[in-house]
Amino acid sequence: MTFSADKPTMIEFKDVHKYYGDYHALRGINGTIKAGEFFSLLGPSGCGKTTLLRTIAGFEDISSGVVMIDGKSMADVPANVRPTNMVFQSYAIFPHMSVEENVGFGLRRDPRSKAEKAKAVDEALEMVGLKGYGKRAAHALSGGQRQRVALARALILKPKVLLLDEPLSALDKKMREHMQVELIKLQRQVGITFILVTHDQEEALVMSDRIAVMFEGEIAQLADPETLYRRPNSKKVADFIGTMNFIPCTILSESGDKVEVDAKGLGKVALDIHQAPPAKGETPVVGLRPETLTLLYPGQSANDRETDGVIDEVIYFGDMTYYDVYLGGTDVEVRLSMRNVPGRPVLDVGTKVRVAWSPEALVLFR
Amino acid sequence: MKSAPGLRSYAILYLVFLYGPILILPLFAFNNATVVSFPLSGFTTKWFSEMMADQALWRALRTSLQISLSTAVIATALGVMAARAAVRYRWPGKPGVMGLILLPLVLPEIIIAMSMLIVLIWLGAPQMWFTVILGHVLITLPFSVTIMTAAFQSIDVSFEEAALDLGETPISSFRLITLPLVMPGIISSFLISFTISIDEYIIANFLGGNDTALSVYIYGQFRFPAKVPMVLALGTCLVAMSILLLTIAEYFRRRGVARVGGKDSGGFL
Repeated sequence: MTFSADKPTMIEFKDVHKYYGDYHALRGINGTIKAGEFFSLLGPSGCGKTTLLRTIAGFEDISSGVVMIDGKSMADVPANVRPTNMVFQSYAIFPHMSVEENVGFGLRRDPRSKAEKAKAVDEALEMVGLKGYGKRAAHALSGGQRQRVALARALILKPKVLLLDEPLSALDKKMREHMQVELIKLQRQVGITFILVTHDQEEALVMSDRIAVMFEGEIAQLADPETLYRRPNSKKVADFIGTMNFIPCTILSESGDKVEVDAKGLGKVALDIHQAPPAKGETPVVGLRPETLTLLYPGQSANDRETDGVIDEVIYFGDMTYYDVYLGGTDVEVRLSMRNVPGRPVLDVGTKVRVAWSPEALVLFR
Repeated sequence: MKSAPGLRSYAILYLVFLYGPILILPLFAFNNATVVSFPLSGFTTKWFSEMMADQALWRALRTSLQISLSTAVIATALGVMAARAAVRYRWPGKPGVMGLILLPLVLPEIIIAMSMLIVLIWLGAPQMWFTVILGHVLITLPFSVTIMTAAFQSIDVSFEEAALDLGETPISSFRLITLPLVMPGIISSFLISFTISIDEYIIANFLGGNDTALSVYIYGQFRFPAKVPMVLALGTCLVAMSILLLTIAEYFRRRGVARVGGKDSGGFL
């Protein structure tokens, strides 16, 4: 995480609303995106993330509110003069043009000489690793190459903001992981603000400086990946990002900066106030990530707390094993993950085990 | 697939039945006899010379070309606009409007011709080549809209947005990106409209007034037995022209498909 908070603001949303007829697609978006930041809009399909991205590009009018780019309101600024460029989900590579015609398309209105423009195209192609591909027909490229052409075409105009609409969703898993790293490197190299739309929480965590998690037209949480993962501010966010065990609990007392709860199967736990985000009026549960729970093998003892359990299910992943365990004679089942290392055999279903955990890893949702 | 001899003979008979009569045309166009009957009595090109010398025919041809070229241009231009509106935008009453545009496809031409004639007389408008164009645009528009709708549907909506995003205006985006990509559709639409218009008889006859179109002229000449070989010569020329036009259209269509790397789905022609 190289992001620092003192960078200037590049994009600001002030109470942005968008209606499609009766459908309320964006419901009061507020927030800022810093210059040079790799920012992600993450959420399930239909949450409004693409709509929000398109309001930045200027393809969608907003119903009310303000979108500012680099201190200027974008109201009445059409898409073709905004300081943003977009990499489309389908890449939108013009099929009747060669690679260099595609990449150089944005330079049509550039007053520079033909030779200078050709040089700029070559540089852009080199930057995305497609040196020497200029003369190729655009339709003869593979998916990964098309994406690189789309990137070069958008970056050649040196926009203030690069918008990426699910750019990796059409690639296979290997290629996707490869391009994730390339995109991060490219962003560091050019220093332009990148805004990525994705429904893949892993992709957002890997690539972003900060992430806005969106549900139903609202930003549910805007934070850096680590905060989002370790301290989600709602059950919904916790459930969307990674896996989390939810354990029913009752709140015993709440005083100052301490909250004491009785969690089913875990017993009484005192939580720090920062582990308890503001109440949402829901039935109280505590959340625990699978990797914060550890199976204790004979002879091992817990650093902190431990609870008895019975293994109900074993899921073997090669490097990891997932266990579903009933806690302390209750019907509360938690999933925990153990790294498979020498001297740590995979246990069978029905084995009685001890589970170690730490109160610090808990998050209270209420 | 196993070949079935029955199906093969059926296919051959079918083709002979379909195209055999057309082959009669050149055969008797070069036959040295006024009467169209076997046996052939010798080779001649005099029917073609007679055709070339016929002033009324040239006038009819000029009128027809005037009508058909105008029809093709207008129908295709309207087709482009209607298809783009139908494919790209949502607006109230779209299914109804698009249905009305396609309606002339199933309306008998005689009905269209008569009702238009009644309206024209009621308006006091003269019947001439221009009114024929109005009728022909009406009947060719369904074809043009259908072809152009298919052409627009095959284009990614993001293309125009991408051009806009890269600094082009909406109009230049359309000109630089969309227009070249729908060009095969435009050529198809133009040729289909032209072909339909040039051999259309009923509307041309009802609405043409004193401007005789080629189809009306041919029909008129056919009543005189002495003129039949000359009409056959004219028919031969028209068939040759049709084949040439279709070949050119198919060439451009295939080139268009190859240029954007699309899969050839057979095409319209």
